[in-house]
Amino acid sequence: MSSKDELNDEVKTSAKLASELEKVKRENAALKAQLEQTKKERIEYLQNVSHQLVAPLNAIKWHIENLTAARVSPERARKVLSSIYSQSTIAVHLAKNFALMSNLEADHSLTALQEPIETVDLYRLMVNLADDFQPLAWDKEVHIKVIPTPLESAPPVLAMKKLISQSFSNIIENAVKYSSKSSDMIISGTHNAKTNTVSVQVSDRGIPLPSDVNLIFERGYRSKEAKSIYPPGTGFGLYIAKRIVEIHEGSISAKTDPSGLVVFTIELSIDKLKGRARERVAKEKDYPDRR
Amino acid sequence: MWQKKKTILIVDDEQGLVEALEDALTYEGHIVLKASTAEQALQILKTQHVDLVTIDIMMPPGPSFEADIDSHKTGVFLCQTIKKQYPKLELFVLSVVSDIDTIRTIQKLGVTFLRKGEIPLRTVLDRIKAKLSGLAYSSDWEDDRRKH
Repeated sequence: MSSKDELNDEVKTSAKLASELEKVKRENAALKAQLEQTKKERIEYLQNVSHQLVAPLNAIKWHIENLTAARVSPERARKVLSSIYSQSTIAVHLAKNFALMSNLEADHSLTALQEPIETVDLYRLMVNLADDFQPLAWDKEVHIKVIPTPLESAPPVLAMKKLISQSFSNIIENAVKYSSKSSDMIISGTHNAKTNTVSVQVSDRGIPLPSDVNLIFERGYRSKEAKSIYPPGTGFGLYIAKRIVEIHEGSISAKTDPSGLVVFTIELSIDKLKGRARERVAKEKDYPDRR
Repeated sequence: MWQKKKTILIVDDEQGLVEALEDALTYEGHIVLKASTAEQALQILKTQHVDLVTIDIMMPPGPSFEADIDSHKTGVFLCQTIKKQYPKLELFVLSVVSDIDTIRTIQKLGVTFLRKGEIPLRTVLDRIKAKLSGLAYSSDWEDDRRKH
């Protein structure tokens, strides 16, 4: 090889290196921008979380101050107590969501969630949730009605009770929040023997769903209408609801019927989790100290 | 009550807080009006006499302003608008917002900023009483500087 050729090779190599360096620099800049964006989102999320938790807690504080300073009549005091109850419901609901959210962020497969699998009577669960959210709904004169037949006679489903309850809690809270004033919220359900599933429907009359319905289940998504009615929401409620239903190998969907009724449907299998429940029992036998 | 009845407009969409503030102000002998959007508040000011307005920062602007106003800063817009249209009206911002630029903007308009999450209702009542009776409460700028 002549010295000229060597020189040519060197020039080629250094040109190649320079272009690679440029590429790395560009990638680096893109990653930096991405990191900045993530940081910004995290700050916004935390501010949102704090704003949402502080509001009901502060309302409770002020209500209690009014009660202790005897600024309200005994008759009004009863209403104040009911308001304290509904504000506490919101605070607990939000705190549970935020705890779940950090689990979801930490482990995308969610296999690490070691919640017990047990039989859940969906009718009773709906009645309890309706009772919990009714005081909040009364603020908007919204009546939550749980229709007993035929859900009452549906067999119980195998589920992680705490999680599935939070999933329904999110659907119901969402429906209460965006219901029109003085409307009815209907919860009903049926057992489908063919598919061995129980499906529950939560319907309300309020702001319409976006044309691309699936968007509402995306992490952080909030429709323009939702933001204009309630600015500080996180857009995590329905996302969490969907993730939980997916862990249960069930399905969740939403649609607007021709009359404008917004209907959420959750379908859960009665015994799909049986295998998983058995697996867990076996594991716990092998590692008795793990609990 | 030694004080003449005054009319106070509460502009806030958080019902729990509004109820508690309304109970306390009613007990102090005031007439309370309520609005949950900036648009509603401006409508009320057009038609009724109001002595003082308390304003939240994060709330819905209302249908006519939706396109132009970021709902996270509706209260700032409302303060600016009211200051322009009713320069003599007393304003209080009651909010959990902690963004220092937003707080400065409000204070530069001559509006008192009170942190909703940090102070007892008693303090809010005292500050409102002082403002309505024309008594000077220590400057809010000074208050804020001492805190930081």
